[in-house]
Amino acid sequence: MKALGREVGRVALVLAAALAVGFVITALVSHDPLKAYRALLTGALPELVQGPDGGWVFRRVTRIGAVLEEAITLTFVGLAVAIPFRARQFSIGADGQVFLGGLAAAAVSLAIGGPSFFVIPAACLAAMAAGFVWGLVPGILKARFEANEIVTTLMLNIVAVQLYRLIIMDLLNDPAAGFLTTPALPLPSVLSVLVPSTNVTIMVLWAPVAAIVAWLLVQRTTLGFEIRLLGENALFAARAGVPILRTTVLSIALGGVFAGLAGFHIANGLLKRLPVDLNPGIGFSGIVVTLIARNNPLAVPFAALAYAYLRVGAQVMERTTDVSREMVLILQALIILFVASDRFGPGMLGFWRARAVRRRAA
Amino acid sequence: MTLDLLFLATLVGATLRAATPILFAALGGLVSELAGSINIALEGMMLIAAFFGVIASAFSPHWFPDAPMWMHPWIGCAAGLVAAVALAGLLAFFHLELGADLILAGIGINILAQGLTVFLLVAITGDKGSTAGLASFAMPRLHLPLVDAVPVLGPLVNGDGLGGQNILVYGAFAAVGLIRFLLYRTVFGLHLRAVGESSDAALSAGISVRRMRYAGLLLSGVLAGFGGIFLAMGYLTLFQTDMVAGRGFLALAAVFLGARRPLGIMAAALLFGASQVFAAQLGLYVPSQIVFMVPPIVTIAALVLFNLHRRRAERRRVEAGIATIFAPSRIIE
Repeated sequence: MKALGREVGRVALVLAAALAVGFVITALVSHDPLKAYRALLTGALPELVQGPDGGWVFRRVTRIGAVLEEAITLTFVGLAVAIPFRARQFSIGADGQVFLGGLAAAAVSLAIGGPSFFVIPAACLAAMAAGFVWGLVPGILKARFEANEIVTTLMLNIVAVQLYRLIIMDLLNDPAAGFLTTPALPLPSVLSVLVPSTNVTIMVLWAPVAAIVAWLLVQRTTLGFEIRLLGENALFAARAGVPILRTTVLSIALGGVFAGLAGFHIANGLLKRLPVDLNPGIGFSGIVVTLIARNNPLAVPFAALAYAYLRVGAQVMERTTDVSREMVLILQALIILFVASDRFGPGMLGFWRARAVRRRAA
Repeated sequence: MTLDLLFLATLVGATLRAATPILFAALGGLVSELAGSINIALEGMMLIAAFFGVIASAFSPHWFPDAPMWMHPWIGCAAGLVAAVALAGLLAFFHLELGADLILAGIGINILAQGLTVFLLVAITGDKGSTAGLASFAMPRLHLPLVDAVPVLGPLVNGDGLGGQNILVYGAFAAVGLIRFLLYRTVFGLHLRAVGESSDAALSAGISVRRMRYAGLLLSGVLAGFGGIFLAMGYLTLFQTDMVAGRGFLALAAVFLGARRPLGIMAAALLFGASQVFAAQLGLYVPSQIVFMVPPIVTIAALVLFNLHRRRAERRRVEAGIATIFAPSRIIE
């Protein structure tokens, strides 16, 4: 419990430090940095306003919906990064896996009709399979050919995005739409909405379940044990008889399954048709989420919620002030840098002290 | 026949230009890699150098109205280099002083560069896409009048319109020799490689590991910076959002592909440059999406082939009795 408190305190410190540095940068470019930051930090909240009839009403409840929609995506992507990271495999291929997962889900939804209870699980499975296969590739390249997984996953991301564009433009294109996109997914394959006037679907319940499944996988199965052992000390794991090659491949591929689920959520829950341009970089958001969660699957949904809150706030900031939403990318970078630093925080005092001592000695 | 040769010469020239930014960044990646720190952030350093190079060269006439015209691109170049080195310094600080994992910190630095360039682009120009509204400068071209009249050599050396290749194209290939000299013929290079080979041994020999790693990362910032500056002040003459477009990652791949040797890296960079030019030619016949898949697939295939070759060579050495033990699998490191 005490350890948990320390972790939470450290994450809070990191977020505060990132926001503080972000504020300095904002102040350099904005005419009204306080207004911009208020939008960033409270923009995702609904507003309590007095209606014309004198009663108090909540405005912009949809923003809470936007936060939840984003948090679902980020939870899945965060889990997709967390599992390979546990094995110390720096797979940054979640981007490509999300694209292909969404594409598989949309293709299955369009190709096979039928009632919801059949087509939705089929689309979901297709997305998971696509993510798995696209994770299998860098896994095998690493295990069989010793190809650096950072390089291969980055390259495979490019291939996946182009494959996605090619299939949408040439095979699944809807010429009547007026822009490059697939036809609208048939109604039975679209997830039904839980909160009116948002896109919050049943996935809001499945995302925490996925986190629990990922936690069970890592903490309570043999494979999970092997993954953790490989991540903590590869040489020891090899001596102890852990099948290194299989564990390497599976850790990356199983991450892909969760990325595929994110694609399914985007295709069948949020967009209901896939445009030719999805927003790339989602995989890197997964990295920041899993880092905030300290690689613990159970903490991933909370980290995702916090980060989604900031992202929606950033969109509000861009609409209402002179500061662009790329501020959130800067914050993301700062959070990654601060969280990744072991000696950040209280330990940093030690650094300055040691430096002062060195100075004095010199 | 002459026409074909001419066409070939044009392709070779285009390959050299396409290889230049990758070569610069890959040499940077090599220097830090040999010092024992893998540099994932080459992409971000190129991007930030490209941005500050363009912005500083565009504003240089306002800042220094009395300076002669030829100075403005050089001022931009200097600003870009400073920005790239500052970013490299930030990476080194987080890694060496605060104990950040180098790979995670590198990812962070890349995202920082991506966010910061767009953020500042909007703040300065009000545009989210490019600096098309600003009049920025290109680095000068080096024109060799001697070869103009030679049929094939002319376009090969001086480019399509015989205007001369950008000075940074020459710079990149000159840098191969310089870096080779620096790494293998100077005490600094010896110390740098020693730190990468075995930091404990280097430390006990009295070499400051921390200082050499700082040097490696900062120098990689300089080289990657030149790559970014060429992209925005040579290859094109403006800054575009995300204009590095994965070249920093290709450069990282080139470090491994080139067996961590300067000449090998030059060959790898030329291969990537050629595959880009080839892809552009291919674009006349097949969808552009397939074309864009060519460089990443070439990278992966080349990595796999290279590793297979290396493993076979290792096995042969063991069989011949030259080496006695297998190096532990590289997965376990």
